[in-house]
Amino acid sequence: MSDSTQLERRYLRLLAFYPKAFRREHEQEMLSVLMAGAAKGQRRPSPDEAIDLVSNAILMRLWRTFTRLFVRSYEYRHRRLLWGFRIVWGLVLLGVAMFALSYGSWWALWFLAGAAADFVFGYRIYQIAQSQPPTWRVTSNAEAE
Amino acid sequence: MQEATFLILTALAAGSQHGYGIITDVEQISKGRVRLRAGTLYTALERLRTDRLIEVDREEIVESRLRRYYRLTPTGAERLAEEADRLSSNAHVAMSRLEMSSGLATT
Repeated sequence: MSDSTQLERRYLRLLAFYPKAFRREHEQEMLSVLMAGAAKGQRRPSPDEAIDLVSNAILMRLWRTFTRLFVRSYEYRHRRLLWGFRIVWGLVLLGVAMFALSYGSWWALWFLAGAAADFVFGYRIYQIAQSQPPTWRVTSNAEAE
Repeated sequence: MQEATFLILTALAAGSQHGYGIITDVEQISKGRVRLRAGTLYTALERLRTDRLIEVDREEIVESRLRRYYRLTPTGAERLAEEADRLSSNAHVAMSRLEMSSGLATT
């Protein structure tokens, strides 16, 4: 086996740490970058390269888990609807709180806190909706819109 | 904006480039100080693409290897210009103050 195919196989083994969806789009591309940067006759990735690939792969997996945890895909798909719904619901909670407060009821505070939490959560979804969906599809921005 | 991000955007400012082209260009721009590794580069590109500062320009197969070219979006160019402006204004102030203090020292 030639040095370069051996090196290529070892790079692929490191790239396997990346999420599947990312690999589908970028594995060949990254492999060509890695091979272009390799020294002549190099047979194995340098320790720095290995650490860089594995740590970035882990970072990417964490990032994906994070976005999944905080924005479920259902909420993402219905983000516009949810945002409107959250405003209305927040206003209802706020209205109830105001009404209760005017009677001096202590539980009004819980409603106020609820309304505030609702606004914050709704705004977070709105913010995320402004950025691209959390996928690794390669589309130009014109296509995505 | 991190320095690596700034340098990647700068590398794309004159025209589209593929992954390895960006690495060599960044090294040249930073006078050999910053040598990006593939993993770091692709994490940065992914984030920039999500933020719509860059986009895919085209793909080529060279010697049976895939090359994907990236380019700046108008938003990306705008952000880079803002950042460059900020850095140069800071640098300018630093230089003029150093000059001022060295002027005092010699008199």
